[in-house]
Amino acid sequence: MQAKRPFARLIIHLVLIGGSLVFLFPLFWMVSTSLKPLEQTMVSPPQWIPSEWRFENYVKAVTHGSETLGYIPFLEYAKNTVLLCLLVVTGAVISNALIAYGFARLQWPGRNALFGVTLATMMIPFPVLMVPMFVLFRHLGWVGTFRPLWVPAWFGSAFNIFLLRQFFLTIPRELSDAAVVDGCSELQVFRHIIVPLSRPALAVVALFSFLYTWNDFLGPLIYLTDQRMFTLSLGLQFYQSQHGGTEWHLLMAAATIVVAPIIVLFFFAQRTFIQGIALTGMKG
Amino acid sequence: MLRALRSAAILAVVPLVYLGFTRGQWRPPDDGRVHISYWEKWTGFEGEAMRAVVEEFNRSQDRIHVELLTISQVDQKLLLATAGGVPPDVVGLWSSNLAAFADRQVLLPLDDRLREHGITRDHYIPAYWDLCEYQGRMYALPTTPASLALHWNRALFREAGLDPDRPPRTIEELDEYSARLTKRDERGRLLQMGFMPTEPGWWNYAWGYYFGGALWNGRDRVTAHSPENIRAFTWARSYSEQYGVGALQLFQSGFGSFSSPQNAFLSGKVAMVLQGVWMGNFIDRYAPHLEWSAAPFPYPAGDPELAEVAFVEADVIAIPVGARHPDEAFEFIRFVNSQRGMELLCMGQRKHSPLAEVSREFIETHPNPYIEVFIEVAKRERTFSAPKTPIWSEYASEMNAAFDEIWLGQRSADEALRRVNERMQRALDRWLESVARRRMEP
Amino acid sequence: MRGRREMRAGLAFVSPWLVGMGLFMLYPVAASLYYSFCEYSVLDRARPIGLANYADLARDALFWRSLLNTLYYAVLAVPLGLVLALSLALLLNSGVRGLTFYRTIFFLPALVPMVGLAVLWLWIFNGEYGVLNVFLSRLGIPAPGWLTDPAWSKPALILLSLWGVGHAMVIFLAGLQDVPVHLYEAADLDGAMWWHKIRHVTLPMVSPILLFNGIMGIIGSLQFFAIPYIMTPNGQPARSAYFYAMYLYDNAFLYLRMGYASAMAWILFIIILTLTLLSLRLAARYVHYEAG
Repeated sequence: MQAKRPFARLIIHLVLIGGSLVFLFPLFWMVSTSLKPLEQTMVSPPQWIPSEWRFENYVKAVTHGSETLGYIPFLEYAKNTVLLCLLVVTGAVISNALIAYGFARLQWPGRNALFGVTLATMMIPFPVLMVPMFVLFRHLGWVGTFRPLWVPAWFGSAFNIFLLRQFFLTIPRELSDAAVVDGCSELQVFRHIIVPLSRPALAVVALFSFLYTWNDFLGPLIYLTDQRMFTLSLGLQFYQSQHGGTEWHLLMAAATIVVAPIIVLFFFAQRTFIQGIALTGMKG
Repeated sequence: MLRALRSAAILAVVPLVYLGFTRGQWRPPDDGRVHISYWEKWTGFEGEAMRAVVEEFNRSQDRIHVELLTISQVDQKLLLATAGGVPPDVVGLWSSNLAAFADRQVLLPLDDRLREHGITRDHYIPAYWDLCEYQGRMYALPTTPASLALHWNRALFREAGLDPDRPPRTIEELDEYSARLTKRDERGRLLQMGFMPTEPGWWNYAWGYYFGGALWNGRDRVTAHSPENIRAFTWARSYSEQYGVGALQLFQSGFGSFSSPQNAFLSGKVAMVLQGVWMGNFIDRYAPHLEWSAAPFPYPAGDPELAEVAFVEADVIAIPVGARHPDEAFEFIRFVNSQRGMELLCMGQRKHSPLAEVSREFIETHPNPYIEVFIEVAKRERTFSAPKTPIWSEYASEMNAAFDEIWLGQRSADEALRRVNERMQRALDRWLESVARRRMEP
Repeated sequence: MRGRREMRAGLAFVSPWLVGMGLFMLYPVAASLYYSFCEYSVLDRARPIGLANYADLARDALFWRSLLNTLYYAVLAVPLGLVLALSLALLLNSGVRGLTFYRTIFFLPALVPMVGLAVLWLWIFNGEYGVLNVFLSRLGIPAPGWLTDPAWSKPALILLSLWGVGHAMVIFLAGLQDVPVHLYEAADLDGAMWWHKIRHVTLPMVSPILLFNGIMGIIGSLQFFAIPYIMTPNGQPARSAYFYAMYLYDNAFLYLRMGYASAMAWILFIIILTLTLLSLRLAARYVHYEAG
């Protein structure tokens, strides 16, 4: 639908600009506060731009932690989070691609029924799974380790299977048929034909898995008991003092550091992100 | 080039997975000592005080090495860790956690070990020993004690024409003083409050005790809905009624962090506050020029026998079930509870000692000028603390929510307390049933 | 021709999922159903107690309160979010310049860890110093206490959720760009105004996406947990922001009543299934799939 009249165009522009300001504002505020000295963080009327730019807040937040809470091993948390993300992304891409291939490109009895069940599992709310999974991991002795947070990713997830299957279905049959005629095993067809053609879809799976793990809060909350093993999303909590009141400047600096990689990643992988989202929403 | 990258990426998976399995699995250094882990809640200078004790212990012998970890929300973490099968060897909790944890067999009973080493109730101020007991067995020992007293700002008293050496002795006097100490600006916004029941708001469930009420009968009946409790909470509500909920909320939004110069009491925004023995520290550190005093909390004028009421609680130290080195853990706990260890710890945290026997030096050199007030309060006849029932966690949650409702004027004290009573009585009944069920098993 | 080899290969390829689905989905679903009929504290074994958990839930005022709070949130946040997302998508699709730029800006907030920023929003919503209230008072609008006012705590959280509509917006945008132009041209010929076009062309064309986003939105909002856990612990003030998933978590990990929590989980599951089926039923009547 094209807006032809210039007046309408102007209104739309104004609304969009206004909306952008509103949407960007919290992020702007976060960065602005992260550069302020403590006294300027909670004043009324608010200080929009800090009068002095305290870049050392970032260093302090990462190395020193908060004054009341003591040292917060921010870098440890970053390392933990990155490790988890790498593990989850690797597992998710490999396992879901293999599984989706099985659903999309191979015929076998019960396939469609199983796929239906797979779709149905997307409706199971996490609380239903939460307690038994905790018990399961306890039996395995995995509580207090990272394993519950990344091992399940190596066994597939309904959403990613669905995404990749839809994508694999669009690859022309002739390509894989020709390879089979040439004597390729299914695994070879998968490796040499399907995978190279599916880079965008695989990238989407990787991106979303990364995002999910980077932001995951409940998982680490339940399974990580040793504070040294926390992830960034849990670690941010520590800047919030338990007795009410917070060192906002340090907290915002830490929050900016946690948020920044995602934003950077987004800028580099924009098209893939958008493509992925579009893919998910299209086939109901 | 791309192929090399790809091969590298594929090879990287193996070490990655290995890391995923092994990272975080701390193995203690192999130096012939038994390494035990100790989870404690304290941070800042309180944490430093315990660290000093741990270092002293580690220095004084070479069989056991204690590793102190600062854990936030240590009670929740302990539950998860024990449920997950990975508890620490020693844990620092709050006395209010004990009933629930003891009941669920999260903590090791210590009676045998205490007997073996001749540690008895006589060594302690009785109130603190009793806090560690549940259904006849001891599940912890105290680390640092707490008792509460009314703290007031002498300068603000003088300003309002009150004698700074004469604190309010009855609740009625408290209300009077509070009115005189409250100031507003031209727009009607609050600048200073005399007394605010919600500051700090850590014991909102406990107001009833000061009026002679109790939260349960110690056995099987929840007594939240009693005349004394209703009276207490109605009294608390009178403050939000008189000064306006909105005005108070706005005023409170402006308070700074507790441990900072912007603390409500430290910055002179609230003139009188019910606080614990640690308050002196925070004053010294963040508002050293504040002139202050402390005295026992007031009692209702018509009930002078309630002058003997005092609130106590304590930080405690215990051994979780499933700890790998319980004997070594107990040795450490014994050290902390020795007079030397305890005085080091309590002096470091500027609190009084839970032990019955205290050195003269401790009292004389104690930085808190009112330390004797806190000791006296702890030795009173009618001390109370959080109910020792396993449903306390939920009960506390409900009481806090009820206090909110009352404070905000959503429900009357009568109505709110009645609902809490009904709900918690059901919870208590359910728990008693489950105990009976457990007993009937072979 | 590929017959048996295909079958073996097929099963081999999906085998990780068979393990995964069995261990991490089907077993937990069955186990939690079993636990819901038990008294279970994890530290001790599970003891069957019949329907007692469900009976207790029926009489549990906090269960109903948390459920109502959650429904309040879902009923407001999901439609508002959809309307906002679609409106933004419509605006972006109207051919104005800078589509990529605006799309980026509106999408960005949906990416950031909400949990990390929960504290930022605590600050923004602060009754005394918060930027939002400062702004409102400059416009002369009386500003509520937001997160300290029981009447406004949920609206504050709903507002916060609107910040994350970028995700849905992008899906709508993709869908809008797929709407056949000739339909609009036909409408133009009939002399339709823009709101007619929206009603009769655009909405039917994007209705499948509305359905999808709606269902995902419902499922997500009924499990609202991490943000209120940090911003309004215990559902303060006065349980006004106590949501279903929070009560479930407290029961499971704080009060160690895992049987009770499992019963709550199953009730949630049934509610979600029912709502999804209802939506699909509605969809059959109203959603328009383009022929061909």
